[in-house]
Amino acid sequence: MNAEPSQSGRVVLETEPTATGLTVPMWLIAAMLVLLFLGAWYFDARGGWFEAKVYEPYHSVADVARFQPRSGGDAVLLRGKVLYEQNCALCHNPDGMGKLAQAPPLAGSEWVLAAGVNRLIRIPQVGLAGPIEVKGQLWNLNMAAMGVMYPDEDLAAVLSYIRNAWGNKASVVTAEQVKKVRTELAGRSQPYAPDELKKEAE
Amino acid sequence: MTAIPPTSQQQIDNSCRLPLFALFGGAAVWLALSSVFGVFASLTFHKPSMFADCAMLSYGRAFPAWANLLVYGFCLPAGLGVGLWLLARLGRVELAKPWLIVVGAKLWHAGVLVGLIGILAGQSTGFEWLEMPRPAAVILFLAFMLITVWAYVTYTRRTEASLYPSQWFVLAALLWFPWIFSTATLLLQILPVRGVVQASVAWWFAGNLLNVWLTLAGLASTFYVLPKLTGRPLQSYYLALFVFWTLILFGTWTGIPAAAALPAWMPTLSGAASVMMLIPALAVVAIVILTVRGSQTPCGGGPLCFTKFAVGSLMLATVLLAISACPQVSRVTDYTWFGHGQTVLRIYGFFTMTMFGAIYHIMPQLVGPGRVCPRWMRINFWLVMPGILLLALPLVFGGIAQGLKFIDATIPFVDVSKSTLMAFRISTLGEFFIAVGNLIFLFNLLAAMVGYYRSVGKTAFAEATALQPVGVKP
Repeated sequence: MNAEPSQSGRVVLETEPTATGLTVPMWLIAAMLVLLFLGAWYFDARGGWFEAKVYEPYHSVADVARFQPRSGGDAVLLRGKVLYEQNCALCHNPDGMGKLAQAPPLAGSEWVLAAGVNRLIRIPQVGLAGPIEVKGQLWNLNMAAMGVMYPDEDLAAVLSYIRNAWGNKASVVTAEQVKKVRTELAGRSQPYAPDELKKEAE
Repeated sequence: MTAIPPTSQQQIDNSCRLPLFALFGGAAVWLALSSVFGVFASLTFHKPSMFADCAMLSYGRAFPAWANLLVYGFCLPAGLGVGLWLLARLGRVELAKPWLIVVGAKLWHAGVLVGLIGILAGQSTGFEWLEMPRPAAVILFLAFMLITVWAYVTYTRRTEASLYPSQWFVLAALLWFPWIFSTATLLLQILPVRGVVQASVAWWFAGNLLNVWLTLAGLASTFYVLPKLTGRPLQSYYLALFVFWTLILFGTWTGIPAAAALPAWMPTLSGAASVMMLIPALAVVAIVILTVRGSQTPCGGGPLCFTKFAVGSLMLATVLLAISACPQVSRVTDYTWFGHGQTVLRIYGFFTMTMFGAIYHIMPQLVGPGRVCPRWMRINFWLVMPGILLLALPLVFGGIAQGLKFIDATIPFVDVSKSTLMAFRISTLGEFFIAVGNLIFLFNLLAAMVGYYRSVGKTAFAEATALQPVGVKP
């Protein structure tokens, strides 16, 4: 549809669209305000107020803090849990209940929960071999010196963890205690027999 | 002071002809090629070994080839062509330096070709919607700037002082793309930022490209074509102004998915903005209903049909975008086909349909009456329209079903994948429909251009060989 010369000889232009002056309807403004309010509320609840440390699934700094270990003690137990699940859980089970013909339970075990930790620390350092009674049941197995490779702090963390997990409740083991026993046991490669272990101070 | 005589329609059309031929012709070629790659990519899901021996057609190359040819090959040049036409027509002025715009268009298509070769050769950048390697990105940027400069000069030379809403949208689109494209290319390819910042830049770019740029360019055309064809004024200036500002205000925040591994404020803000996008979409629907209501113009598979379908798709795609921004929904829909369904609906359903409508409105005026075949145009519509629905909707519903299975830990992954097969069969059928429709569009356009040149040639030949009057000395 091109321009046609009109009768007067002048070029008449094709009309182009125009716009009316109708105002924006109120319902649209209201809908926008409602959505803006909801958006602001949503941001307030989930956005963490531009804090760079807050990632999904956390929604605020307080949220992030709640899921962090609160003290040094918690951090030690968390470290112990990781080490336990990597090294010990294969035989003793992640829930500490032990496995038939592999390892006796640690949860509720009188050896783990003993008031003194002197005997407990010795077991992972050189291993344990021979019949041992745990929670009234006789186990006759061998445990290798699983803990000999680990620094004092890590061994202390694992032992603290098993003394405080799965309903166990006992004092934590310190790195100094582990170090003291390790010095005493220097040079020994013979695993403990349970009867021999009982002769050590508790 | 004498009034400057307004340029005649014929002069405007003459100035637009070659630049628009260059932009639309190349765009139609890329669109057809893109849908062929789309079919290849889709077929891979039915038989993964089908193209396993051909690296070029493997999914990791065919899919980016589809996406980039669609957006950079078709959407941008088509949007630019329609935008230039609107600036010239509404400003009642000839296009400034048409030959430089032709050079820009050719340069743009050369950039797309370089990018396509790069992607097929395995040199893609790995950023979604920005896969073209660096040389291609630089060429595309220069070509776009060349066209933008002369589009802006055309705008400043206009003889019609008052602005029509479509002009704001075109001008914003002309400025928006260089901004987002140069920022993303600089920060991702030339001076790459590190770590999660890369992901956030890439998402920001994709959000701006798909949710803002395509909407700006598509609405410029919609707001022109609907009133023009129905012969009714646009309802209204203020609603269009409202759409304009809310779109660019909220749209530029979108793009970051809810589960993104970024500081929580980024996905949260982006999600809120995605929901806010409902406001401009609702306003667009209001404009269209108020403008078209009561018009007697038949739809008839023509530009009006294309444009109306496009507006419906825009609304649906925006609703899907808003829904999937809610965390309760995104838990299900993230990492499924849902998002792709939404994107396809936006690009094909909204943008390419508005462009088809606008091009079918503009081309007959450039090539002369009777050269764009109306029957093929209708066939084009009746292939592409169901094709888009068959492609997008199964992906959306299949994505939801897939997501519900994903979050159930007892269902093995293979079963989850198998459950999407039926949706995929239907969507591949949709891809076929679209591919055939796009080929028809290409041939319809090429035939019209060839017809035009043939008539020009015939006239010139007739003039050159016309018998001179005998016996008259010069």
